[in-house]
Amino acid sequence: MTPERLARGQELVARYPKPQSALVPFLQYCQEQDGYVTAQAMRDAAELVGITPGEVESIASFYTLLFKEPVGKHIIQVCRTLSCMLGGAEDLQSYIKRKLGIGHLETSADGQYYYEEVECLAACDRAPCLQHNLEYHYDVTPANFDQLLESWQAAPPQPVMPAE
Amino acid sequence: MSDVKMVKLLIDGQEVTVPDGTLVVEAAKTLGTQVPVYCYHPKMDPVGLCRICLVEIEKTPKLQIACSTRVSEGMVVRTMSPKVAEGRRGVLEFLLLNHPLDCPICDKGGECDLQDFTMEYGPGASRLTEPKLHKPKRVDLGPTIVLDEERCILCRRCTRFDNEIAQERNLVVVERGHSSLIGTIDGGDYASYFSGNTTEICPVGALTSKAYRFRARPWDLAHADSVCTQCSVGCNYRVDARFGNVMRTFTRENPDVDGGWICDRGRYTFNYLYEPSRLREPLVRRDSDLKRASFAEAVTLTAEKLSKAAAAGRAGIIGGGRLSDEEAYALQLFARKVLGTNNIDHRARLQRYASPARFGAQLRDIDDADLILMFGAITPEQAPILDLRIRRAVARRGAHLVFVGPFKPALAVPFHYIEYAAGAIGDLMDSLADAVGRGSQPQGPFATDLAGRLQSAAQIVAVHNGRNTVAAGALERLMETMRGAGKRAGILVVGSQGNARGAEAAGCVPNLGPGYAPIAQPGLTTAEMLTAAVAGKLDALYIAGANPVLTFADGALAHAALENVPFLVVADQVLTETARYADVVFAAASQFEKRGHVTNLEGRRQAFAQAVEAPVGVATDAAILSALAAALGKRDELFDDPDWLFSRLEAAERAAKPAEPLARPKLDTLATPQRDALDVQRKTFTVIPVPKLYAGGGPSMHDPGLAPMRPEPRASFHEDDALLLGIAQDRVVTLSGPNGSITVAANVGTSAAVGTVLVTADMPEAPVNRLLDASGTGRVTVTPAPLREKATA
Amino acid sequence: MPTFEPVIMKGIGEMDLADIDVYERGGGFSVLRKVMREMTPDAVAAVVTESNLRGRGGAGFPTGRKWSFLPKDGRPRYLVCNCDEAEPGTFKDRMLLEKTPLQLIEGLVISAYAMGAKQAYTYIRGEFLEGSRIFRRALAAAHSRNYVGDRILGSDFSLDIVVHRGSGAYICGEETAQLESIEGRRGEPRLKPPFPAIAGLYGMPTVVNNVETLCYVKHIVDRGAQWFAKIGPEKSPGPKIMSVSGHVRKPGNYEIPLGISARELIEEYGGGLLPGRTLKAFQPGGASSAALFEEDIDVAIDFDSLAAKRTMLGSGGFVVMDDTACMVNCARTLTRFFEHESCGQCTPCREGGQWVARMVARLEAGEGSEEDLRVLNVINNTITGTNLCPLGDSIMPFLASVLKRFPDEFAAHVAHGGCPLKRMAAVVA
Repeated sequence: MTPERLARGQELVARYPKPQSALVPFLQYCQEQDGYVTAQAMRDAAELVGITPGEVESIASFYTLLFKEPVGKHIIQVCRTLSCMLGGAEDLQSYIKRKLGIGHLETSADGQYYYEEVECLAACDRAPCLQHNLEYHYDVTPANFDQLLESWQAAPPQPVMPAE
Repeated sequence: MSDVKMVKLLIDGQEVTVPDGTLVVEAAKTLGTQVPVYCYHPKMDPVGLCRICLVEIEKTPKLQIACSTRVSEGMVVRTMSPKVAEGRRGVLEFLLLNHPLDCPICDKGGECDLQDFTMEYGPGASRLTEPKLHKPKRVDLGPTIVLDEERCILCRRCTRFDNEIAQERNLVVVERGHSSLIGTIDGGDYASYFSGNTTEICPVGALTSKAYRFRARPWDLAHADSVCTQCSVGCNYRVDARFGNVMRTFTRENPDVDGGWICDRGRYTFNYLYEPSRLREPLVRRDSDLKRASFAEAVTLTAEKLSKAAAAGRAGIIGGGRLSDEEAYALQLFARKVLGTNNIDHRARLQRYASPARFGAQLRDIDDADLILMFGAITPEQAPILDLRIRRAVARRGAHLVFVGPFKPALAVPFHYIEYAAGAIGDLMDSLADAVGRGSQPQGPFATDLAGRLQSAAQIVAVHNGRNTVAAGALERLMETMRGAGKRAGILVVGSQGNARGAEAAGCVPNLGPGYAPIAQPGLTTAEMLTAAVAGKLDALYIAGANPVLTFADGALAHAALENVPFLVVADQVLTETARYADVVFAAASQFEKRGHVTNLEGRRQAFAQAVEAPVGVATDAAILSALAAALGKRDELFDDPDWLFSRLEAAERAAKPAEPLARPKLDTLATPQRDALDVQRKTFTVIPVPKLYAGGGPSMHDPGLAPMRPEPRASFHEDDALLLGIAQDRVVTLSGPNGSITVAANVGTSAAVGTVLVTADMPEAPVNRLLDASGTGRVTVTPAPLREKATA
Repeated sequence: MPTFEPVIMKGIGEMDLADIDVYERGGGFSVLRKVMREMTPDAVAAVVTESNLRGRGGAGFPTGRKWSFLPKDGRPRYLVCNCDEAEPGTFKDRMLLEKTPLQLIEGLVISAYAMGAKQAYTYIRGEFLEGSRIFRRALAAAHSRNYVGDRILGSDFSLDIVVHRGSGAYICGEETAQLESIEGRRGEPRLKPPFPAIAGLYGMPTVVNNVETLCYVKHIVDRGAQWFAKIGPEKSPGPKIMSVSGHVRKPGNYEIPLGISARELIEEYGGGLLPGRTLKAFQPGGASSAALFEEDIDVAIDFDSLAAKRTMLGSGGFVVMDDTACMVNCARTLTRFFEHESCGQCTPCREGGQWVARMVARLEAGEGSEEDLRVLNVINNTITGTNLCPLGDSIMPFLASVLKRFPDEFAAHVAHGGCPLKRMAAVVA
């Protein structure tokens, strides 16, 4: 574990009465830096909070926003639950998959895009909606998606899953 | 227990009264009603996951789970009703939905809870109209277990076992929802010493033992109630045989001893019986080679040589710790009545005492202890099931665990480590006894801390390995002080062969007869016999079930003695390092092939039954001894009938009336541990042998089931010393002492204390006892091998 | 036009309530001041109990009664603010978090004071990154003005609020799963009993309250129990934010007095159906609620009236489906949701939920059979009521209700090998 990581880990541990509570926040922090949760990060986390690496894997694998493999630079998560479906999400989903050439839970060959269909994002009044690196975009349709895509491509790189 | 509140309730119309807090599923058991369960296990916390144990409880609209509902006064429970039947059928339907139709090839068939409950409560046909979903099958989960994720019903008994009982937390649930799987980090090995228990508690055939896969059906198996003797805990188990061959073993719960578990070494050590290396007939040395011989020939030759040696008072016997109580008694009977000598000693290892003289504890005392002291004993390696009790006491009851010794061991639960040089522990004990008894100032800062813990504890259990007799005595004095201060305190001695305590109690020591009866003219100890052999003062040696070349403290002495002694007889199951020196080797029966009793470290005598017949040519130790007795004209002194031997042993004990303080086996001056000062210049290092569960040179070395777990011999250095020596992890080094040297790969870390080197004990390929003297200590120089040499995997 | 004066939604969209100066100018933290100055914790708790406030997160348990379960045994107490909003159709807590975090903080501090908690956790859903940032900034501002932290407003009461982000699991909205998650484990619900009030976070007495609930606490303390209790039905009083979405002209969050009719919510607040459409079904309380239909349009929106109709108010996630919505498609969406979010601990939810999702998916794709329909019509008996937590029990209500009401639609999928409506996902104008 690098000294910086340890220092941040200890900061997180200090927030709680019990160290294990800092586990997921620490993994989120490591993920922000590495782009996904690396095996080293899991070992570091185990050491930090005093549990086994197996336990870390068990816990991390439970949560869908913690990625065990590299997932590209742009994580595109499109809602697929009821209100968005009623609002045309399926057409949007088909469009995006065709456009990017990838399916649900897949990363594009150039390693740029990761596409996932997710459950309700609590933006039902502006359906269909999606998140790009945890940033909301509302009223997204096949018509305006391209523009959105271009804006992401033009923007400077950012962490795919910011921690705080 | 009149102050326990009792609760009266109705189950299926029958009134039952149970203690308050009882789970409904347990209350039902008192009536003989088995509510079906999967995730529930009486030794683990209820989790309420599988939902099969649904029952109807009046006044609650929904079905309730019996495994986590506690009784209440006047509760009315129905464990069967149309609603319950529908609920259970539903749960079973869900479990069977994607469950593979593996019954014909699944080991669990015939003893499977899914089969059984489906027959009783389940649907007769599947309503699934699409292909079953697939998950990884035949996952190699490690050296002992195969996992089938499709069969798994995710009851989590295995992961909970690893979490609550073994406390190792490597077997976990990964993913979630229907994608949940049982796994390990990065798909690595589930390499626990207790892994086999999961195959028993798994209600289905998801976890199966590699040692048993595809080998038998439960209805083919004959059962024998037996006791494991791979270590001195004496776990009760059952040996299952099919058509005369041991197929597997199974736990046989004894709450006072094993608590329903067994370690993998005990569980899986039996396939060696069928290996080519298993001795199947006697061997006699002809033209410097050991050649097959008949039993009669071996007996005649042995009798002739022993008779001459005995007549001159120059015969000796080493062994007993691997035999049953009856055979240990027979062995000392053979020594004393047939050979007319008191030169008999079971101690072929580093252990000097197999029992505490006073204040012997019971294993159950660990459950209530609030302070557990470990002096040099490495219980996870030497008595794993005992260690499980310690783990539970520490994790569940907040017991403090303190380890005092010359290095920091890897223990499964948090503990307080006090580094104390080998040989100096006696002083520490005295100082502590004084501190607690008389309020004096203990020496050393850690001693103050330890004294404080001793003062505040109400129940103390101390565990040591019986190697350091000075420490043993000092510990007893400490315990006496504790008891005097109103505390409950007791001692357990671990390590050494499984029936060491039985052998000690049966009289396999030079100065004590059966029942610790004193003997007027004591004979020679093991060390003294070996020394005599080297000096040409011993003409014959009979070694039964012992391997001193590998395990005796001074390996060089053992080697020289056995080379030198004119006549050596060894009775064993495989050709051990010791047996290779023999003039006559008798093929001895395994414990599976005889019946009798063994005595565990508590002094508890337990009976074991015969499971299978020995091959022709293999004889029990008692049969060998009785044949020899007959050949020596003393037929009537010794019969091989276990009942005869047992009744004589018991009679002898009754006459001797052994009571605490138990008489002490004779020590030899060589056995006094030296206080060892560290070499500040680090030109030499103190060698400390470290036990590992799967090390050893006997049957376990030849067992294919244990082969994957066999450790690699290693020398562990403190990282500061490694720096001085210029070596890194895995570098090959040669350790050289005055009498020998070994070459092993190095570990670098912080478990070894500075100035010491920890070496895996009992590894024939790198025998640490070549570096030790009879007291079990040694000094070596360390020479790193040239860098191009790689450590062998 | 609806005339009900917003209470906790007041000012949203009109001013930046996340700015502490703006919030204070509008009277923010005046209630906290009053509480610190004049009220004992018991007095605050009494007001809340008297108001009959019921939890706004979904379960609708009386808040005052929940607080009263805390044992007086001297152990440290925790308040957990449940901002893990993930019930489909619900988007009110995210709005409150992002738009009026200081109101939430005020309600939080008052509630913590009432129950004697010295530490509070705000569990914020992982996807609400922006909301968590806004909340942290607001928390820092509140801290700087002594509304949170050590010796609040000069009193003896100190409160530390820890922000804890989730990481993607709907089930963490269930209170015991949330506690597991805060403790750094898999977010899997615990067996109850013991209840969180007795053995909650770190085994200590804990109360988990929803964001909206805590916001109302502030106003109840401010305006009095009777003010609140007089709004709406006696046993289900007070205002509630309904998140209206689906096939309506004006989807959005609306703060209504409980007791108005569904018709009023849809037409007066939601702007009515889209042009030319008729009402086919509506889910009043999130994905876990059974659907109601055209004939139920006048049902009163409150806990008990909806329960009487065998559905629920739940979180108030009100989704409207018109005649262009295919019920099989909707059912497929929702059963897939529960399959994805099942934690996997217990058999009926894990195995049964997955089976149901598969069957409905096949039906939707035109690969279903009569046998599937037969099974779906009876499976309610074995999936519902046998689970460890409410998620398993939420799998069937919508499906069972639409199966019963529109059996022909399901049968047609079998007969026609697909959706006869050619499933139209209408884009809301």
